[in-house]
Amino acid sequence: MTTLASRTATPTETGGATRRRGSLTHPDRTALLLVAPAVIFVVVFVLIPLVFAVVISLTNWPLIGTVEFVGLDNYAAIPSDATFVKSVLYTLLYTAIVTGPILVLGYAMAVLVRAPRRGSTLLRTVLFLPFVVGLSTISFMTVLEAQPDSGAVNLLLEAVGITDGSTAWLVDGALATGLICVLVIWGVSGLTMVLLMSGMHAIPDEVYESAELDGAGWWQRERNVTIPMLRKTIAMAVIISVIGSLLAFTQFYILTKGGPGTDTMTVVNYIYNRAFVQLQLGAAGALSVVLVAVVGLVTATQFWLLRDRD
Amino acid sequence: MRYTRRRFLALAGAVAAGGVLPGCSSVLPAPNVTAPGFGTNARGTVKVWCRSATQTGLTSLVDRFNAAQNQLLVELTPVLDEQYVTKLATAIRGRSVPDLVDFDDINSMLFIYRDAFTDLTDPISELEFAGRLSPGHLRLATRNGRQYGVPYLADNSLLWCNTELFDRAGLDVDESTKAFDGLLDAARRIRALGDDIYAWSFTGNNPGALGFVVQPMVWAAGTDLIKGPIGAQSGNIRGNDVVQSMLEFYRQLWVDDLVSQRCFSDDGASWGSDFLAGTVGMFPSNYFAVVAASDEAFQKRVTSRLLCGPDGGAAFFDGGDNMCIPRGATNASGAWEFVKFALTVQQQSQLPAGGYTPVRSDVVSPEFRRESPLATLPLERIEEGYAPTTLSYNLLYNQPDGPWLQMFRRAVFDGQVTAAMAEAQSSFDRILELGQA
Repeated sequence: MTTLASRTATPTETGGATRRRGSLTHPDRTALLLVAPAVIFVVVFVLIPLVFAVVISLTNWPLIGTVEFVGLDNYAAIPSDATFVKSVLYTLLYTAIVTGPILVLGYAMAVLVRAPRRGSTLLRTVLFLPFVVGLSTISFMTVLEAQPDSGAVNLLLEAVGITDGSTAWLVDGALATGLICVLVIWGVSGLTMVLLMSGMHAIPDEVYESAELDGAGWWQRERNVTIPMLRKTIAMAVIISVIGSLLAFTQFYILTKGGPGTDTMTVVNYIYNRAFVQLQLGAAGALSVVLVAVVGLVTATQFWLLRDRD
Repeated sequence: MRYTRRRFLALAGAVAAGGVLPGCSSVLPAPNVTAPGFGTNARGTVKVWCRSATQTGLTSLVDRFNAAQNQLLVELTPVLDEQYVTKLATAIRGRSVPDLVDFDDINSMLFIYRDAFTDLTDPISELEFAGRLSPGHLRLATRNGRQYGVPYLADNSLLWCNTELFDRAGLDVDESTKAFDGLLDAARRIRALGDDIYAWSFTGNNPGALGFVVQPMVWAAGTDLIKGPIGAQSGNIRGNDVVQSMLEFYRQLWVDDLVSQRCFSDDGASWGSDFLAGTVGMFPSNYFAVVAASDEAFQKRVTSRLLCGPDGGAAFFDGGDNMCIPRGATNASGAWEFVKFALTVQQQSQLPAGGYTPVRSDVVSPEFRRESPLATLPLERIEEGYAPTTLSYNLLYNQPDGPWLQMFRRAVFDGQVTAAMAEAQSSFDRILELGQA
């Protein structure tokens, strides 16, 4: 450490006197050039749209017509917007329902396919396929398969004697939520599986061998070796899953459009409606900015809770 | 020059403002439609947008126009119905508009009210058949006595009757379809024909289709669910006996098992399939759903009537397309030349082949009656077509979370007619107030 410390030059020693603090022109122009594409990408596709969204949120910005500055009116109106509050609560409920099963199912599938056994590659592909197909396609298929009397879901349930086959899944808020949750858990667990499986592959075999020598069984090895060493990967999988759930849109838009009434209205669905159905981009912009802040806060909290305490 | 953070942020702010400010002004210059030679001998390309629901009719029309002359080339861009308003508004804000939009007439006023379309009163008045154009369509494109769009095709709601089932039940179509009592009596007798025969069919979970076929039963009695001119509109539901009668009529169809249980969840994906299968006696719908998907033998077994009110009267939904020239169009003259071609009797007469009805009442001729017998009724009674003029139609009637569908479902399926009407009244008032702000 002493050697390292003595080798570390201070900014002044390396000519820092000529470089002002806060300057964007770092002396190492090669490094700047290397990061420039990423910086430009973030500035053009993230920062400028974000600034633009904030500007829009301070106006009435109708999709058609003249724009007027309204200050913080759009933000002030949010707490009294009952539909927005309801959509936030519904989105949180939906997130709470699907996050656990996605992680558990993804973990179970990763355990199933992690060993290089005969057929495991094929099994990985099969299990990952729903994620590749995508929620849009799965949702469109579900629209047809959830039809009363004719859809596969109802025919199957009728065949096993659970229902009479005439259940209108998408016309009842609770049933639609249940169906969409099952669809999403099936559709996106493959991503969690792949993330966890690559984490599992990074765990050295020696650790498992030591555990076996100590007499650890399968469950003990999972609990005391795999899960602790997958902590960061699990954290990443959960954060990706939660962000995806908080921003859920496609499956709800295709299957229920937030209905019946507003029973399955997610936050993004509501913001979409405000912007492109009610044509109120200013109000939608304010809601979007709030959503960005909430998602950022939730993600930061998750990072903090799932941080590596070592 | 040093790029400090402060300087960088200032630059970023300027770039953002540069993106924002041009979008603030969205009123584009109007083309001069009174210039000599407007709409004749134009050259170049005409960019036309049409909605996907009526794409079939437009595509063949454009093909015929391009084949008929070589001075103008019409380029057609179909736009999904649900994205049309957004895309057009974005195009206007981006100051890059098509030369002509074939537009859902119910949404015309949304853009007219924002000064987005060109005043076409003068060129329309010069059309020798101007007085024969659908008044319902024109009403939806008229503001302060000025016309900002011209009708192109009609998509009307009518009551379609299976005459074979009527005959088997010993019913007369005209007598049965004059008022609600007659409809209910006919419905019960048709239902009695067999377990698999239903009297009526409706899409209980499709707000747009319901609004299309149910509202005329209110208009037929001379009232509406909205009252007042744009700017001072409110709901007209609480205490409206006609609306109550309409809801109770549908409630009766439901509780008496005169309609299939499928109606509860029917989102319109297979609209009309039961009627086309010959298992439904009465089906409020449009020409397209009944005629475009059926064979000649079936068409001989059906007839249509206007939709009636509780105690009589008649009305139909005057839906379809208006053609409007956006302000800022670069080839408005070419666009109007194309419009005039689209409105000729020859072109209008071909609309039924695509599943639509013409908008000129003088299209009806002996030959037209022979070729398209089921398309003549709304043309013969073109004055009885109606659609409400409002800026909020889409929000009120076409959304799954809109008050129209919620009122209908609560009243018809839950039986809470009075409560549903009270709830709808406040929702209509709120949405109309917001839409006019």
